Amino acid sequence: MNSRESVLLKNADRPGPAGIDEYGEWGGYRSLHKALSMEPGQVLDEVKKSGLRGRGGAGFPTGMKWSFAVADPQTQKYLLCNADEGEPGTFKDRIIIEKNPHLLIEGMVISAYAVGAASGYIYLRGEYPKAKDILLRAIKEAYEKNYLGDSILGKGVVFHLHIHCGAGAYICGEETALIESLEGKRGQPRIKPPFPVNEGFSSKPTVVNNVETLANIPYILEIGGDEYAKIGSPECPGLKLFSVSGHVKRPGVYELPMGVTLREIIYTHCGGIRGDRKLKGVIPGGVSTPVLLPDTIDCPMDFFHLGKVGSMLGSGAVIVFDETVDMVKVCLRITKFFEHESCGKCTPCREGVSWLRAVLERMSNGSGRGGDKDLLTEVSNNIAGKTFCPLGENAAAAVQSFVNNFGDEFKEKIKSG
Amino acid sequence: MITITIDGKKISFERPVTILDAARAAGIHIPTLCHHDILKPYGGCRLCLVEVEKVPKLQTACSQYVSDGMVVRTETEKVVDARRAVLEFLLINHPLDCPHCDKAGECELQDLAAKYGPAMGRFAEGKRRYPENLEDPLIVRNRERCILCLRCVRMCDDVQGASALSVTGRGSKSYIEPFSGGAYDCEYCGNCLAVCPVGAITSRTHRHGFRPWLMEKEVETVCSYCGVGCSLVLQVRNNSVVRSVPRSGLGLNRGLLCSKGRFGYDCLNYGDRLDAPLMRRNGVLERVTWTEAINCIADRMKEIKRENGSDAIAGIVSGRCTNEDAYVFQKFFRGAIGTNNIDSVAGMAYGPAQRFFEKILVQGVTANPIQGISDSDGIFVIGGDPTAINPVLGLQVRSASKKGVPVIVVGHPGGLKRYSKRAFIMNSAAETVFLAALVDEIKRRRPLPGERPVLEEIINGFRPAPLEDASKMSGFGPNDLVDTAHALSNMSRPSIIIGRDIVQTDTGHMNLLFLAALTYLLNGRIYLLSELPNEQGVLDMGCQPDMLPSGRPLTVETFRKRCEETLGIIIPPAPGLSYAEMTEAAHEGRIKALYVMGEDMVLGLPDSNYVRGALRNIEFLVVQDRFFTETAKYADVVLPALSWAEKEGSYTNLERRIQLTRKAVEGESIEEWKVISEISKTFGLHMGYRSAADIFSEIARVSQIYRELTLEGIADGKSVWPYRGGPLRYDMHTEGTKLPDIVSVMEESGMSGVHVRREAHLFHSQNASRYSPALLSITPEPHLKIGDILADRLSVKDGDRVKVSTDAGSIVLSARRDPCLPDNVVLASTFDGGGIFEITKWRVNPITKAPASDVNGVVIDKEEAITVLHKDRADSLVGG
Ligand SMILES: Cc1cc2nc3c(=O)[nH]c(=O)nc-3n(C[C@H](O)[C@H](O)[C@H](O)COP(=O)(O)O)c2cc1C
Ligand code: SF4
Ligand code: SF4
Ligand code: SF4
Ligand code: SF4
Ligand code: FES
Repeated sequence: MNSRESVLLKNADRPGPAGIDEYGEWGGYRSLHKALSMEPGQVLDEVKKSGLRGRGGAGFPTGMKWSFAVADPQTQKYLLCNADEGEPGTFKDRIIIEKNPHLLIEGMVISAYAVGAASGYIYLRGEYPKAKDILLRAIKEAYEKNYLGDSILGKGVVFHLHIHCGAGAYICGEETALIESLEGKRGQPRIKPPFPVNEGFSSKPTVVNNVETLANIPYILEIGGDEYAKIGSPECPGLKLFSVSGHVKRPGVYELPMGVTLREIIYTHCGGIRGDRKLKGVIPGGVSTPVLLPDTIDCPMDFFHLGKVGSMLGSGAVIVFDETVDMVKVCLRITKFFEHESCGKCTPCREGVSWLRAVLERMSNGSGRGGDKDLLTEVSNNIAGKTFCPLGENAAAAVQSFVNNFGDEFKEKIKSG
Repeated sequence: MITITIDGKKISFERPVTILDAARAAGIHIPTLCHHDILKPYGGCRLCLVEVEKVPKLQTACSQYVSDGMVVRTETEKVVDARRAVLEFLLINHPLDCPHCDKAGECELQDLAAKYGPAMGRFAEGKRRYPENLEDPLIVRNRERCILCLRCVRMCDDVQGASALSVTGRGSKSYIEPFSGGAYDCEYCGNCLAVCPVGAITSRTHRHGFRPWLMEKEVETVCSYCGVGCSLVLQVRNNSVVRSVPRSGLGLNRGLLCSKGRFGYDCLNYGDRLDAPLMRRNGVLERVTWTEAINCIADRMKEIKRENGSDAIAGIVSGRCTNEDAYVFQKFFRGAIGTNNIDSVAGMAYGPAQRFFEKILVQGVTANPIQGISDSDGIFVIGGDPTAINPVLGLQVRSASKKGVPVIVVGHPGGLKRYSKRAFIMNSAAETVFLAALVDEIKRRRPLPGERPVLEEIINGFRPAPLEDASKMSGFGPNDLVDTAHALSNMSRPSIIIGRDIVQTDTGHMNLLFLAALTYLLNGRIYLLSELPNEQGVLDMGCQPDMLPSGRPLTVETFRKRCEETLGIIIPPAPGLSYAEMTEAAHEGRIKALYVMGEDMVLGLPDSNYVRGALRNIEFLVVQDRFFTETAKYADVVLPALSWAEKEGSYTNLERRIQLTRKAVEGESIEEWKVISEISKTFGLHMGYRSAADIFSEIARVSQIYRELTLEGIADGKSVWPYRGGPLRYDMHTEGTKLPDIVSVMEESGMSGVHVRREAHLFHSQNASRYSPALLSITPEPHLKIGDILADRLSVKDGDRVKVSTDAGSIVLSARRDPCLPDNVVLASTFDGGGIFEITKWRVNPITKAPASDVNGVVIDKEEAITVLHKDRADSLVGG
């Protein structure tokens, strides 16, 4: 474990959520007091200075996103918290909500103040019923203490917070699909532009941020943006939660500075590979990010460096495979996920991914045909760069990375068939 | 100015357009599938991907807007590869069953595959298979062929506003389904199937009976179902209309149609068309030759004229007649018979309403462009549901509502239910009191404009009902009334949409005055809903007892004289009888001979039994129609008529736009105007027309309004009021307009019982739809709409048979519970053999001369026996 006291994972190791009083004892809502004593623009500046990038997957600079919404002349604005957490391998937002819900609420109130939003929604993954109860209780507490409502802390600041539960579609984690779903429509991504910061929920300027992104805000206010920017990688600094699963000795969620290497995560923090077997491959950021070979695990984990080795930080969900794993099966499992979750809006993803799955299925059944490996490459190339949203793109990239990195295993499936 | 380079061509635009539109402007073709000009960009199919310099990923041309300096390439290797890839994806699961598919020959996917033909055959996984869905009587769904472009859903949601369709499932298991599941429960506009690029939604009316390449001709014409006058194209093979389609960019409907325009064309091919004249001999109608029929008409009419005088003869035309037929008809009656006893169905409500508004406001006040509705800042609807009566006009109301324009409805909101801010349903007496109270409240909020002293005097002088009483009668709280008045007062240029049921009631004349006041106070634009394609035209042609074919009163001698000189005829100076008065006169035996052209009086007039009695009393009845109607049963001579698709002519829509109707097929009869001219000849009045164009040019000579117009000239559909001439100015006497005493209305007609009001039905409001198996298949039987409270009180469930009776008669209907309705109002529509007019008591408003279409004090009983009307006709529709 690192020496720093946990910020995002505070209370994570204790049973049950922290109540508002407990949260207060730790200095909770002090950042909100501080923020409300500043101008919204000053709060925004601190976030800009912090270098914080979105933790939902795309890594967009949070301060910049906010400033777009601030710049929009419409007065009615919304703040949406993306708590859909659908990316396989990811279970970090849940910990924040279930263990320390007021951290998220405080982060949202401060953010709403900075962007000028008077109401907000938490779009919660449908499979998190416990998190819903916890959040509902916490929101009630926050209203009672005047941290939410029509005049927060008696300063005339308005912010109302609601919860909306998803219905199990991964695509609804994509911000525009999330907005459609929140509006009661079928969850499908929208054409961009207009971007949500100008035309989002109810066609009003809307900021969508991930749970973890928002949970960082109170800390940034507490220590100041400049100080925060000193944590971890200079290119994209800050604290990051890593959900580690797979064949490590100690899977779990880790709060580490950005830029920590995969090697450190796997071997130092998680105690190495289960049974001390050999590492075969690792997915660094959830199944939407390309798989890496063991020779790249010294790469720092951040949005910038992972790109250089052909993958992405995504949601920071590290999935570790030891030498016993059948990578064709893994690839099939991932492709099945994308096939199942494809919303069906665009042709390449809808048709292409299910084609990929069919080919992978016969390969892993042992009835692969000659040319199937090339077919996988061609079909995934035909999907790549042509889909409406990143889901289809990521599905293609995942298959490409498996075929490229574990080509021999794929070839074997044909031989054996 | 935005300048872009596309495939090396430089091109500039004033405003940002999509890359697709830019390419089109530059003459460059980019293939598309999910794009449709009527719909908003969707970006789903990915076929239109192009390269944009400095943007790493390919961009969809249909959704991406150009920006200054943009460099676009549409035929690079990368683009061509992408296109081929997308097309391959589209085809891997497509059945490619073109030989069985009705879309073949006009399928966008087939065309694309032929043009960009991808290397096929490497998809070996087995295509998805689903059976075709034939649960709906009119629309077939084929899930295998669907490419999920969502044009249909977007059409239904965003344009039609019916929201009846959706995608179900996800990813490769997505499919299109109506919310109702199997059969559709929707407006059947068919606009979804019109935009489907492939054969995934097709019409059952021409299933497997139609190949686009075997079509012989396409004829651009105008729909004959309602007063909107949508443009459509009739597709013809073997002298029969095989399909009617709209064309984007053509006409005021811009590519849209309603159920009647789309599916109702099949009445043209309906089996029981009349094809020879019939004459009653010894009590039986027998086939005779044209000469025999015409001679008989001439002899009998002359005889009656000799014995009883010209005014014992009368003529009625339908609102479905062309201008040319209507014009010749009135000329014959005035010039040959010597009577002004001429009227039409427009004389019941549309005409009196228009006349009243013109008198009190200004001539041409109802001539407003339909497209303007969606640009108004408020909409007030009364007297009928525009989405049922004039469906394509109704879409304008919905589109305004979507933009946030407040829509207020007095009456059942029908298809505007989700689109209206408030709807007030009550009985008709209460409506009058409600309107009066509204006018009074608005008067307090908006200053009088000071333009029309006579009207202002009336507005100022009238004694409204106390707010509490108005509220008590209407069943709505005083605040509802005040809030509505307030909302209306905030509108600066609202559309006031008026249907005929506000006129056809005992207090109709008062309603008109209050609506005129409302329009005046709010600076509104009036739209008169028109249930037939040419109500305006037959009025303009002079098929009115007191108006010349010029929109001028015949009682003014100078006008009459000028008309007589131009035409070389003598016109009687006294006005004739109105439609309702003729019916009464027939009942009393004062009308001996009646010539009815295209109108089914038994179904069209309230109190069918009264009308039957009147018809029985007529000595000599001539009916000229396409079908053997209820009225024809009483005729002495029946003449077969041509349908609108079998002759040339023109229609004038409710905007007062004159449009050309073209001949698409040869009919088995003779143009009505030709028949009338033949009869006229025997009276010594030679008309000598050779064509509809000849007649039209005479019309242009007779009336200042039509000066210089020709039938060829109006073909562009741009001849709108006031045409070439300006509006006519002459003194319209307003002295007669009396101040209604609203208090006495309240006292006299408390209307304590259950009140039946007419529901103008989307699928079968008028008689032509009775001959369309397609339209009948949607709703094969008449309904009674009944509110929940009343239904509970009577223990009536959905689908129960109920007997609805008054002293005039009784009908058995199938109950439909409707949560909108209060417990003192039920709705029934006109319907062959079970319509509301069987039970409405004959009452004619002495001022407007409109017969009432509603009735109070009905008794509703549950009925046990089950009868389904018209099942046979519906079943005759092309089978599965
Ligand atoms: C298919 C798809 C799924 C996504 N799922 C999530 C999710 O579950 N949670 C999340 O925060 N962001 C998700 N995102 C990213 C969001 O679109 C969006 O970028 C993010 O919520 C923005 O917040 P941030 O700037 O704080 O990261 C997803 C994106 C895509 C394309
Ligand atoms: S890539 Fe296309 S089909 Fe796939 S989820 Fe995104 S929009 Fe839907
Ligand atoms: S017919 Fe019209 S109303 Fe019915 S589903 Fe199609 S578009 Fe919608
Ligand atoms: S039914 Fe036709 S219009 Fe609708 S999504 Fe399928 S292909 Fe497109
Ligand atoms: S709106 Fe009227 S004119 Fe248009 S298609 Fe329908 S019935 Fe015909
Ligand atoms: S036409 Fe552009 S994506 Fe379908």
